[in-house]
Amino acid sequence: MGIVTDILFIALATAVINNLVLINFVGICPFLGVSRRIDTAFGMGCAVTFVITIAGSATWLISHFALVPGSALVNAINSVAAGSVKDLLFLQYIIFIFVIAGMVQLVEMYVRKFAPALYKALGVFLPLITTNCAILFACLTIAKSPELTDNFLFALVYSFFGGIGFTLAIVLMAGIREELETADIPEPLKGPGITLITAGLMALAFMGFKGMAG
Amino acid sequence: MIPTIILAVCVMLALAGVFAVLLGWANVRWHVHVPDQLQHLMDAMPGANCGGCGYIGCSEYAEAVFHEGAPPDKCPVGGSAVAQRIAEIMGIEHIEGVPSRPVVLCGADFDARLKRPEYRGEPTCSAAVMVAGVQGCTFGCLGLGDCVEVCKFDAIHIVNGLAVVDYEKCVGCGACVRACPRNIIQMVPFHADAMAVVACSNLDPGKVVRGDCTVGCIGCGICAKLDDIFTIADNNASIDYDRYQADTDLSAAIEKCPRKTIRYVGK
Repeated sequence: MGIVTDILFIALATAVINNLVLINFVGICPFLGVSRRIDTAFGMGCAVTFVITIAGSATWLISHFALVPGSALVNAINSVAAGSVKDLLFLQYIIFIFVIAGMVQLVEMYVRKFAPALYKALGVFLPLITTNCAILFACLTIAKSPELTDNFLFALVYSFFGGIGFTLAIVLMAGIREELETADIPEPLKGPGITLITAGLMALAFMGFKGMAG
Repeated sequence: MIPTIILAVCVMLALAGVFAVLLGWANVRWHVHVPDQLQHLMDAMPGANCGGCGYIGCSEYAEAVFHEGAPPDKCPVGGSAVAQRIAEIMGIEHIEGVPSRPVVLCGADFDARLKRPEYRGEPTCSAAVMVAGVQGCTFGCLGLGDCVEVCKFDAIHIVNGLAVVDYEKCVGCGACVRACPRNIIQMVPFHADAMAVVACSNLDPGKVVRGDCTVGCIGCGICAKLDDIFTIADNNASIDYDRYQADTDLSAAIEKCPRKTIRYVGK
């Protein structure tokens, strides 16, 4: 298969078939918390897409050059003291969290300085999603699956469309919740109850995509 | 051969060092300078973020004052104290204004309503207003509490089917005015602690009003004959608040009003 087909497959598989929220059940907290209005939900979705893309590429680079067997850092350590380590993957989780938090902080400062309009739109959400599990999940998935670990472009596409999938899910949810505001909901189900039921039904609907595109 | 724990500590320390330097550098390099004056303005705001000023939040208003020269007396929560403080920071003259407070232009509680068919739909005013015949009067308070829902200051309550403002708690943000689907809550400049208001907004002829409730304005015009601050238009009396002074005495009109529609509200 050509590279364009590969990219299209990865995009579709990530955004819809293996949707972060509705199939993998990560990032539930902002999914339920910020889905009251479509415009704020969309803002949150954009912020997550933004951060997930940056975090995905940053952790791919770190993983590639410092953690996996035969990478630059591992080789350097071994050349100082022979046979010390096979790889540094046992530090993967903590380093990823560390890098994501640091990157978000850095990006926030940069955006605040050079793109005030963007900062105004995303500013509220950026600190919120620093340690969002959806982002760590995407980074760990990239590190785990061989075809993504070997190719930076694929990893980039994966993380970007992971964010797009999140945006899709949260905006759909917000649309439904805006309608629910005026619906006649039974008293005990009002608020979180009906929201969780809606989320469950949406997840069931997304299961219909299972098996598509491999 | 290096023990794993030492290796881990070293790697993490190195990473922490790299990020500390990077973030420290970024903080200095990309520092966004907030002018002292703007910072003081933000500190002076009450921080309720109610949107009563017409801006999105307190900091938005502070920026509007700072950049666009918005007037200092927009904040309904802080009132004249905050306006004074803003004027001080900006170095401009502040003229003491009159606070605006909402007034419910309906005086009919549940007992005063004559036609009151049972309503069993969605218990919000915005839903009930779409249904004909929820109550006889098509101008009156529905008493389902959309205004109570939006009030952030617990200053409006439904008492026996009628919205009543608690003027001790009310800051005049106007949220209830925007929430009322029948538009019967109006912002009134409070020249005195207690203001006389015509607590009815019914524009139907007197005969129809008599059938709806016991306290509605029938447009008889007795108040307008006693004091020219009252005007009758569309079968409904209203007060010209621009001419209302702190010492305006409308007790004669209040006494003579055959329906007891004119009444005092406020502290």
